Amino acid sequence: MSATTESPRGTKLPSALPQRTHDGARRQYIYLAVGLVVLFFLPFVLPESSQPVLVRTLIYGIMAVGWNLMSGYGGMFSFGHAAFFGVGAYTDAVLLTNFGISPWIAMIIGAVFSAGVGVLIAYLCLRYKLAGSYFALATFAFAQMFLLLAQNLELVNRTEGINIPLLPEDSWAMLQFGQDSFNYYWIPLLLLAAAVAVTIAFVYSRPGRYTQAIRDDPVAAESLGIPIMKYRLITVALSCAITSIAGSYYTQYYLFVGPEQAFSMHVSTDAIVPAVIGGVGTIWGPLIGAAVVGPLSELVAAVVRNPPPFLEFLQGVSGLDVAIYAVLLIVIVVFLPKGIYGTIRERLRK
Amino acid sequence: MVGLTACSGGGASAGAGDTIAIGAVHPLSGGLAGVGGMMNDGAALAVEDINEAGGIEALDGAQLELRDGDSQGSAQTGQSEAQRLISEGAVALVGTYQSDVTENVASAAERADVPMVIDVAVDDKIMEQGYENIFRIQPNASSMGQAGAETLAAMGETAGVDVEKVAYLHIEGAFGTSVSEAFTEEAEAQGIEVVSTVSYPATNFSDATTQVKQALSADPDVVVVTGYYPDNVLVAEAVQALNPDILGVFGIASGAFDDSSFPADAGAAATNVLSANYHYAATSERSQDIRERFEEKYGRPMETAAMLSYQAVEVIAAGLEESGSADPEALRDAIANTSIEDPLLAFDGPIEFDETGENKNATVIVMQSQDGEIEQVFPEEFATAELIFPARDQ
Repeated sequence: MSATTESPRGTKLPSALPQRTHDGARRQYIYLAVGLVVLFFLPFVLPESSQPVLVRTLIYGIMAVGWNLMSGYGGMFSFGHAAFFGVGAYTDAVLLTNFGISPWIAMIIGAVFSAGVGVLIAYLCLRYKLAGSYFALATFAFAQMFLLLAQNLELVNRTEGINIPLLPEDSWAMLQFGQDSFNYYWIPLLLLAAAVAVTIAFVYSRPGRYTQAIRDDPVAAESLGIPIMKYRLITVALSCAITSIAGSYYTQYYLFVGPEQAFSMHVSTDAIVPAVIGGVGTIWGPLIGAAVVGPLSELVAAVVRNPPPFLEFLQGVSGLDVAIYAVLLIVIVVFLPKGIYGTIRERLRK
Repeated sequence: MVGLTACSGGGASAGAGDTIAIGAVHPLSGGLAGVGGMMNDGAALAVEDINEAGGIEALDGAQLELRDGDSQGSAQTGQSEAQRLISEGAVALVGTYQSDVTENVASAAERADVPMVIDVAVDDKIMEQGYENIFRIQPNASSMGQAGAETLAAMGETAGVDVEKVAYLHIEGAFGTSVSEAFTEEAEAQGIEVVSTVSYPATNFSDATTQVKQALSADPDVVVVTGYYPDNVLVAEAVQALNPDILGVFGIASGAFDDSSFPADAGAAATNVLSANYHYAATSERSQDIRERFEEKYGRPMETAAMLSYQAVEVIAAGLEESGSADPEALRDAIANTSIEDPLLAFDGPIEFDETGENKNATVIVMQSQDGEIEQVFPEEFATAELIFPARDQ
């Protein structure tokens, strides 16, 4: 693994190692390409009914990758990523239903808009020196504000939400296919790969290095002449744009978005939990976390429906996935505080 | 020719001695697990009854099988559960209790061309998408608001009491707003003035005194209420505490006022509270029998929501009998043309669907909480006890 270069804790200035940086990034890109090729063929080996689970896992993955940029690499813990997810989801829905704009374009507009919203929120928070849990609470408050706005704005149909009309036939331009189409899996897979590629590029770039330096010691970074606010806001913009794309895709896949689906608190935790389980501030952690959290409830539900003989007593028990989810979170926080991937990487290094 | 029709979703086929799968999507875990589980039990009991009576005759006695999906109360999980059930071979779906979850499940069913019978979900908008495979048994929000106003006027007339001014108290959100708007429109036509409309938040609502005071400040004759269980209990308690000079509390589509645990939970505050709602037909022998067996089997009373789930399964079974085929498209056409006499709910007539998929004869009746029991009081044909109106000591 790219030992020194990716280490967030090192005090040496990263730009001092240009050659190794280059190698490190290239290695990550190779991992990404291999992973992408393997995952591309996943729908061919899994049963048809697993498609919704795969898609949901990918959406979690994109959200977590976005959250991880701001909170993992940038050190600004966001508890309100629902705001950026929801802006993406609603931008797509409003532009499509009111103006017939293609979801692909709406996705980009939503990302830009969301980045703008994120930068504004982050600027306000950072300008008034909110840090740590206060920063997290402020982002949470902004997300709640968006929830209330969506519930009360006629433009977005208030609490009724927005339906995306069904089309009679498949359309790439309108991003709508038959329900079982593999395209619904491949598109978010490519979006996720792009989000990871952006993360790799960012982490190994100069702004990415600065951002990590600012996270580890803002005072030292500032004294070295790094413009703290600028690099923090760049990180926030990237993070929000990526999360927004997950939101736009959500709307296109589920064809319905309401205030609860876009802005509620559980959306924010959906972005956080995969990253925390996989490993905050690592490139692959959020993906591993999403792969654990995404299918968890379906896997548990499948076991409960047709339990193996030794688990017969579990037949028909509902809500078990929530209990397992909670236990898993506790176990990971206690025994693997750096997440699955983060801890494994650390062990390997020793 | 029977039994060789393949299901479009997963290739399951049905025929002599085979089983036909019906998918049920309800919130089986999470905050709504109580009612979701009860509805699932209601659907399961219907499947059991139909199988015991010989299955689907038109398909050589094919047996039904209920496969359940857990929406966990979330729209996206509901949709993925619906997709899973369809791809595993369900020929029809029932569900889902919540309007937003129903939106998603309905769109999944529509895209897969699998018929869905909505047991509970009130939002008008669900059926306004032009979906062809979706049917709803219960009345929608706006027709409940309208029927509520008509009933209130008719009730006043029957009892010889003038209802001129009402205050409306409803939960925030699509449900409360749409019922109250439809009520207000019809009330004006009936010569009832809505003197104040107050809404209260759907979450973190722990005391209704402020809102009830606000509603009472316009000096209404009747306080009309729309909401879910916990918040409506609070409203009833606040009215009791403030003890205003009104004719009564009248719920429309209230989640509490005709629930059998309401009289015990609200105590004195429940006395004579009225509720216009869709309701199981307490006067029907068939529904009495079902309720008795349900309580025996599952150890809790069968509320109207579960009766609707039972009814939804019956609608699908009737469709299967009529089409003689488990092919979802033939089934859809059969359900669209079906007519179910002797519905288990207190409706105006047989269950028949109009072109949008709404039940033409769905309507509301009035219940009243009397001496710890929920009685049907209006109109006369469904009455199990006499209407007490004015419902409060003046």
